[in-house]
Amino acid sequence: MKAMERIGVLIGVFAMAVSIWYGIWTASVERDGIEWVGVIGLFMGSLLGFMIAFYLWRTRIKLPADPSDNEAGEIDQIGGDYGFFSPYSWWPLWLAGGAAIIFLGLAIGWWVLFIGVFVSVPALVGWTFEYWKGPNAL
Amino acid sequence: MSATLESGTMLRTEQARASHRLAPGATVVKWITTTDHKVIGNLYFITSFIWFLLGGAMALVIRAELLSPGLQLVDTPDHFNQLFTMHGTIMLLMFATPLFAGFANALMPLQIGAPDVSFPRLNMFAYWLYLFGGLIAAGGFLTPGGAAAFGWFAYAPLSDTAYSPGAGGDLWVFGLALAGFGTILGAVNFITTILTMRAPGMTMFRMPVFTWTVLITSILVLLIFPALAAALFALGADRRFGAHIFDPDNGGPMLWQHIFWFFGHPEVYVIALPFFGIISEVLPVFSRKPIFGYKTLVAATIAIAALSVSVWAHHMYGTGQILLPFFAIMTMLIAVPTGVKYFNWIGTMWGGKISFDTPMVWAIGFLTTFLFGGLTGVILASPALDFQLTDSYFVVAHFHYVVFGTVVFAMFAGFYFWWPKFTGRMLNERLGKVHFWMLFIGFHTTFLVQHLLGIWGMPRRYADYLPEDGFTLGNQISTIGAFLLGASMIPFAYNVWTTWKNAPRVESDDPWGYGASLEWATSCPPPRHNFDSIPKIRSERPAFDLHHPEAAPHGYLAPTGVGAGAVKDAPDTTPETKSTDDKEN
Repeated sequence: MKAMERIGVLIGVFAMAVSIWYGIWTASVERDGIEWVGVIGLFMGSLLGFMIAFYLWRTRIKLPADPSDNEAGEIDQIGGDYGFFSPYSWWPLWLAGGAAIIFLGLAIGWWVLFIGVFVSVPALVGWTFEYWKGPNAL
Repeated sequence: MSATLESGTMLRTEQARASHRLAPGATVVKWITTTDHKVIGNLYFITSFIWFLLGGAMALVIRAELLSPGLQLVDTPDHFNQLFTMHGTIMLLMFATPLFAGFANALMPLQIGAPDVSFPRLNMFAYWLYLFGGLIAAGGFLTPGGAAAFGWFAYAPLSDTAYSPGAGGDLWVFGLALAGFGTILGAVNFITTILTMRAPGMTMFRMPVFTWTVLITSILVLLIFPALAAALFALGADRRFGAHIFDPDNGGPMLWQHIFWFFGHPEVYVIALPFFGIISEVLPVFSRKPIFGYKTLVAATIAIAALSVSVWAHHMYGTGQILLPFFAIMTMLIAVPTGVKYFNWIGTMWGGKISFDTPMVWAIGFLTTFLFGGLTGVILASPALDFQLTDSYFVVAHFHYVVFGTVVFAMFAGFYFWWPKFTGRMLNERLGKVHFWMLFIGFHTTFLVQHLLGIWGMPRRYADYLPEDGFTLGNQISTIGAFLLGASMIPFAYNVWTTWKNAPRVESDDPWGYGASLEWATSCPPPRHNFDSIPKIRSERPAFDLHHPEAAPHGYLAPTGVGAGAVKDAPDTTPETKSTDDKEN
């Protein structure tokens, strides 16, 4: 996991450095002036890198050591209940269908979009509460 | 995580045996409601391959039209424009990008020893967004005005309603935006899975190179697809709601080009890096050697991804309004980590005991083809040369060598290599070789001559040319090659069909005999939650260590810690089965 923190820092530092370098260089070209798309895009990419690193760092010091990062890790170390995995679900289809109708509505007309909202809201509720009462899907 | 759960919905052992044949209707329900990463991977494979065939059919119409001067096949140049626009859109965003998601889904959880991905429902949601988004974008063909015809990079102001009226363009914009969200959500899922669900001992620097490329590619997706979403929503607002974001009066054309290529160039690496990863998996197995320079390969992947976000405007040299030296330097720099990868791949084969099975042949086909594309890339990175060649067939030849070289050659390498893992049956070797040579010769006949056509001055995206231009012979050669290339899908389709019907089921976990990564330590195909037992992970090739303990790291077989022996039961996904665990009571 530490490797990923370093990659985050690396992306952050690299994108920030390039953003500043590019910003100063384009600003020095009199005819065109500073080119904002690249400066802002790289700056936000840099923030993404730092955010990844920061979040993983905060999470790592809060949690016990992860056997995945232990070179001598044994499979038994994660024995027992590993986690819950949805066995099957209808909701991704309904929610994506609703989202597709909404996007189609943006392209065609508002009335289609409202149909999409009508499909999406119950789908979102269904998705959220699917395992409300335990692992058996509603 | 969910210790409160009581019911046994997740009984792995029961699910594993649930491979009996289902009634057709039940199979459909199973596939459309699935949350199993392997089935979702198959859905991605099938869907993206159908798009590949559709995009390929469009390419054949384009090539047939260009066989001779005059318009024979398409009614108007606008139809031609629709064809090349949708060919590019489909191949980039509905074939190559989701194919990455397909390979990542099908393999990555197996390679890290995980029972599934972190967010199984989100995974399926991402697939549906991709499918519906693709259908909406291509649905433009069904509208009276036809599909989008402004080129797959939709330059302003050509893409506004004055120059491209009709619903086709609107559908294109919002369909791609929808599919783009699917890609973003898929990437979130892959990153989380790789970070949190690796098996004990599977440290970051023991992950297979393919898994590394999935991780880096997913980060790259998060860096760039939001830019595409922003650009598409802004274009949609212009087209549908009368905004003036890309209005030429406001400098809109340059704004669009900058944002689009800030997405568009790294997108090329989104569809290249995972396929480099596939090659890095295939070469060691058939060279009978570990991958040469594992860490430099990972570092090169990170370097390529980082550099790729700082080269976007090399697609815009022709505008004359960008910082040429900056983009030329950064673009040429990318050749360095790519060269490192080549060094590693050749180093892997060097001195190895190379076995020319079909996957290896495809991997070598990739190495040669992509090398050509890389070399012309360095030529085009130089502004002085690019000014002469931009928007000519030289560029068309260049990016087909790059993208077809990586995506298609590596896709087939991956298909032939992992087919037993996906389906439980091997593909036929002889048909695979026939497929390869038809495709290889067809591809190079199609595109090698296009370099010359470009140098002679043939511009890209023209529906027609004159006999006195002197392009006829070159185009004829190219078209013949294209049809050979298209015909190479026939032996592949026959291969899939005949082995599906007749080939024996693979009994062994590792039919190639020298598989390295963890997917070769489980059955073909794997059970519902992937592993009944997981070998000890002490190097970056745990399956090889398991099957060839004499070559495993020192001390591999020595009992250590809680459990002795190389193989351990996979962790249970429910408290119910925990009682069988020797640690309990």
